Amino acid sequence: MIRPVKVVEHEKFPGIYVVEYEDGTKKLATVNLAPGVKVYDETLIQHGDKELRTWNPYRSKLAGAIHKGITINPIKPGVKVLYLGVASGTTPSHVSDIIGPKGVLFGVEFAPRVMREFIEKVAVHRENVVPLLADARFPTKYAHVVELVDVVYADIAQPFQAKYVADNADMFLKSGGYIMMAIKAMSIDVTATPSETYKREITHLEERGYKVKEVKHLEPYDEAHAFVVAQKP
Amino acid sequence: MQMNVYLHFTPLGPVLVNEEGQILASDMITQDKDPEKIARFMYELETGNVPERVLGFLASSLSKEYTLAVEDEEVARKISQSLKEVKVTVQPGSKVHRALREQQQAIVEKAFGISYSDYYRLVREATILLARWKVKEVAEKRDLYVAQAVNALDDVNKTINLFASRVREWYGLHFPELNDIVEDHEDYFKIVSKLGSRSNISLEKLKELGFKDDLAQKIVKAASNSMGAELTEFDLNAIRLLSDAGLQLYSIRRNLEKYIDEAMYDVAPNIRGLVGPTLGARLISLAGGLEKLARLPASTIQVLGAEKALFRALRFGARPPKHGVIFQHPYIHKSPKWQRGKIARALAGKLAIAARIDAFTGEYKADELREDLEKRIEEIKTLYAKPPAKQAKKEPAQKKFRGHGKRKGESK
Ligand SMILES: C[S@@+](CC[C@H](N)C(=O)[O-])C[C@H]1O[C@@H](n2cnc3c(N)ncnc32)[C@H](O)[C@@H]1O
Repeated sequence: MIRPVKVVEHEKFPGIYVVEYEDGTKKLATVNLAPGVKVYDETLIQHGDKELRTWNPYRSKLAGAIHKGITINPIKPGVKVLYLGVASGTTPSHVSDIIGPKGVLFGVEFAPRVMREFIEKVAVHRENVVPLLADARFPTKYAHVVELVDVVYADIAQPFQAKYVADNADMFLKSGGYIMMAIKAMSIDVTATPSETYKREITHLEERGYKVKEVKHLEPYDEAHAFVVAQKP
Repeated sequence: MQMNVYLHFTPLGPVLVNEEGQILASDMITQDKDPEKIARFMYELETGNVPERVLGFLASSLSKEYTLAVEDEEVARKISQSLKEVKVTVQPGSKVHRALREQQQAIVEKAFGISYSDYYRLVREATILLARWKVKEVAEKRDLYVAQAVNALDDVNKTINLFASRVREWYGLHFPELNDIVEDHEDYFKIVSKLGSRSNISLEKLKELGFKDDLAQKIVKAASNSMGAELTEFDLNAIRLLSDAGLQLYSIRRNLEKYIDEAMYDVAPNIRGLVGPTLGARLISLAGGLEKLARLPASTIQVLGAEKALFRALRFGARPPKHGVIFQHPYIHKSPKWQRGKIARALAGKLAIAARIDAFTGEYKADELREDLEKRIEEIKTLYAKPPAKQAKKEPAQKKFRGHGKRKGESK
């Protein structure tokens, strides 16, 4: 096994680490908020009194976006995040690591089976995670639980995702807060070429008053995916 | 001008505020900080059923001159149906509601006199409870579908065996030697359906069908020396009808197994994690449903599927059976005979726990249960390593479990 030789904090983003290996390769990592517990096939690395979890850009679009050089990452220690489409928790677990014990992640997912996994593998082990089995298209159904948040993170691969994301952000995002959204071109509309879909989704966010700050294509980490960061004025 | 009053729901209960965000009234639905009550309250809100208690609170706190602003349409409808004199508007994400959400900490402290950390802990417990309930609700009744599916799987297996014997006998007239060389029914069907007559069998074609080299060689050699009768295309086509159906049954079997595996994940993840999907589904089927299984004592679960033997024991004083369908689990059938009863009892005990969790609470504990069980089995294996003295001599060769043709997958 190749041993890690150096661990440094990410130069721009607090709460995120870079692990350097003997052979010169580098990997992103976060500090495990639930020591000893793995969520997917990440590696656990002991570093001083902390345990790090490596963060795979091929498995997580946020890690992919960081590798591709996004310059804004509002997900940092202490913030509140509304996460739409947590699935079984791959990316959400890293978000939970980053925001730490002072942050809160409200995690919405509507597929019961993956929600079950999310509860047992992620939510019960992490006190900053509040799981919500709900449909992100109907935000008033969880409006009694979710507080105003710093970030709305969306990865729900729905047609017209931007509309639902904006609906959620209208209700729950602080002014000055950020939307982070992964657009999967193929499943949103198979007939349109990827760039058309991206454009339509991005235009929608702008029409709803959100300022699009960054758009990154996630190749090669993810085929036909784009990652959007937008801000609420 | 009419005054606007905003109804802000929190997991602890409703709060009424005015335009300036001042709290006019509030109602805490549980004084004893019970997460279960909170979960139930949230469930009502989500499904648009405004609880009586909230309607009562609204009726007593509001007079006619107010317009009530709420965020959810269903909630609005329910309120205006019950409180005819109140004017209700729907304003999701109104300025005031947003401001309230930003101040959640101050609001719950002021309205309910509870610290934010206590509030947060309660809410988190309640949301986990609620999500588990809802996951379970979705899976409910599916236990009976899975039970039917596993019965169908048994039917398919029986039919495969039936068809296989027929095809082996039939095609055996032409190529009798093949019967002993190819044990696996599906392989046998493949040769009949895809290659047909002996003269059409070659090494290359067998390999294309996925046969291993040495087996393929044996088949080719036997084909060229076969003592069987000639076979016309006309006769072959008739045999193929059945053989093709056999192959199709294998595909059905695989699909059913996949369905059972996935459905069991929703229906009974702990049972599935402990003994695998098929055996788990069989137990549910034998008990007549997940809840019924969960209400059975471990001693009954241990002999489920051995009712006939049990009946014989009761009636004629024969020895009672030590295990029913759980015998199919490798933990038991791979163990020496004198250990099986004890292992069966341990397994049944864990199954009873798993079934109760699946039926009533829904958290995932299978890995722990399995670890405990494996520890106990280790214990049994060391404590009872040797057969009891009396039987030591006659211990029969370990019986190999052969249910229906070749069985892949299910073992854990
Ligand atoms: C691509 S996966 C998310 C992966 C996850 N974000 C990660 O990186 O680990 C998309 C998820 O969104 C969920 N989803 C789709 N539509 C949804 C909706 N309307 N409400 C809630 N969840 C939804 C799907 O069930 C699926 O689990």
